[in-house]
Amino acid sequence: MGDFDWGAIWYGVPYMLQGALVTLEISICAMIVASVVGLVMGLISASDLRVLKVFIRAYVYFVRGTPALVQIFLVYFALPRIGFEFSAFWSGVVALAFNSAGFIAEIVRAGLQSIDAGQSEAALSIGMTNRQSIMFILLPQSLRRMTPPLTNEVITLVKSSSLLSVISITELTRTAQLIIAERFVPFELYAALAVYYLVIISVLSWCSEYLEKRMA
Amino acid sequence: MSTPPLLSIRGLSKIYGEVPVVDRVNLEVTPGEIVMVIGPSGAGKSTLLRCVNRIETPSEGEILLEGVNMAGETRNGKFVADPPTVTARKRRRVGMVFQRFNLFAHLTALDNVAIGPRRVLGMKAVDARALAMEQLARVRLSDHMMKRPAQLSGGQQQRVAIARAMAMRPVLILFDEPTSALDPELVGEVLEVIRTLAEDGMTMLVVTHEMQFAREVGTRVLFMDSGRVLEDAPPQKFFSAPHHTRAKEFLRRIHAM
Ligand SMILES: Nc1ncnc2c1ncn2[C@@H]1O[C@H](COP(=O)(O)OP(=O)(O)O)[C@@H](O)[C@H]1O
Ligand SMILES: [Mg+2]
Repeated sequence: MGDFDWGAIWYGVPYMLQGALVTLEISICAMIVASVVGLVMGLISASDLRVLKVFIRAYVYFVRGTPALVQIFLVYFALPRIGFEFSAFWSGVVALAFNSAGFIAEIVRAGLQSIDAGQSEAALSIGMTNRQSIMFILLPQSLRRMTPPLTNEVITLVKSSSLLSVISITELTRTAQLIIAERFVPFELYAALAVYYLVIISVLSWCSEYLEKRMA
Repeated sequence: MSTPPLLSIRGLSKIYGEVPVVDRVNLEVTPGEIVMVIGPSGAGKSTLLRCVNRIETPSEGEILLEGVNMAGETRNGKFVADPPTVTARKRRRVGMVFQRFNLFAHLTALDNVAIGPRRVLGMKAVDARALAMEQLARVRLSDHMMKRPAQLSGGQQQRVAIARAMAMRPVLILFDEPTSALDPELVGEVLEVIRTLAEDGMTMLVVTHEMQFAREVGTRVLFMDSGRVLEDAPPQKFFSAPHHTRAKEFLRRIHAM
């Protein structure tokens, strides 16, 4: 491995940065959608809305029990069939969010249920409804506990976005593959690719640690 | 004519699996009564209290508070169970103080007391806080309003919990072993607050192992064992001449300690 082709790496930098930007854009959009949907589903899971809870359980069961790659293909090919014509970019966002929302729902539910039962009993005893008890008592107390698993989920989401290369979204991984196809330097470019992901994920972890400290 | 009861419990049972934990209990409480509930651990005292404000759903029987059925209403001869929001509204009228305080861990003492008036009664934030300050002053905690539960002693936490219950202006307040989780030197300050409430005419049901307190403050003593109310008597009568052998045994064991 004496002749490591640094030239290919420098050559790739502008393209890779462009790809990294797409990766970030998709991840951030998916994260926002997944957080909102996942939070709502998690709150419902901890509430007393029986019928909705059953649907959410089924959804979580499906998301946990199937590979992300299969979910991506399903969303990509199913959406047009039920009348949604999305661009590849937005299909990618929907596919990632679909996956992540299921896991976030579980994190939120588990976080709420980890709070001592005495807290919700006290909330009920002063006349709060179940919903008020969740919003004013359980959720504020569990946010901090949820931060580490949520960080993990964000990291997983960013890494899963590399799977979107299969539906020809030119994000970071596909960019690297295109350069490899052009110059045939697989080792150099995959090594560089790993470093790009490491940087993105390190920044994310650092942000989350900062948030967690702020919430202390 | 005698005063109508504030609380009527009729044929109340709570059954877990096959075991009746509360077994066909009847009880009428008139305004101003201080009912001391005593009995061995596992007798069903907590469950009885928790059925009264429906944290636990009774298996059988009915509970009326000021004549209102806590479980639902009869419309055209048919019983219709309350939806959860109605249960929540009825529950406001009953305060509860727990053995382990159960203060909201993320809120200051002030906000622990203010959150009910604010979020449940819909008071303005300033008014809710003013009311909370007034209640905290009554339990002599004005100097600790901005502290979190973790920064307060057990006795202080329990007094905040009493203020929190009182801020909802309940007509009845339930105490479930309010001093059992406290270090001995902190028991007195909490009993003192309860005694003051009793003197102010608050109606209450108090589960306690403090026999002297029960005798001095109670207007009535219930002795429970195996889910049944075995004795229901004025304190002097109960403590000097208990009827039931189980009650005699219980008192003997308590005094031996
Ligand atoms: N959720 C529950 N499921 C099954 N058994 C219970 C439950 N809650 C309480 N019990 C049982 O009911 C009995 C009475 O409990 P409790 O009302 O707490 O008694 P006390 O307050 O007099 O000590 C105990 O034997 C307890 O184990
Ligand atoms: Mg008990």
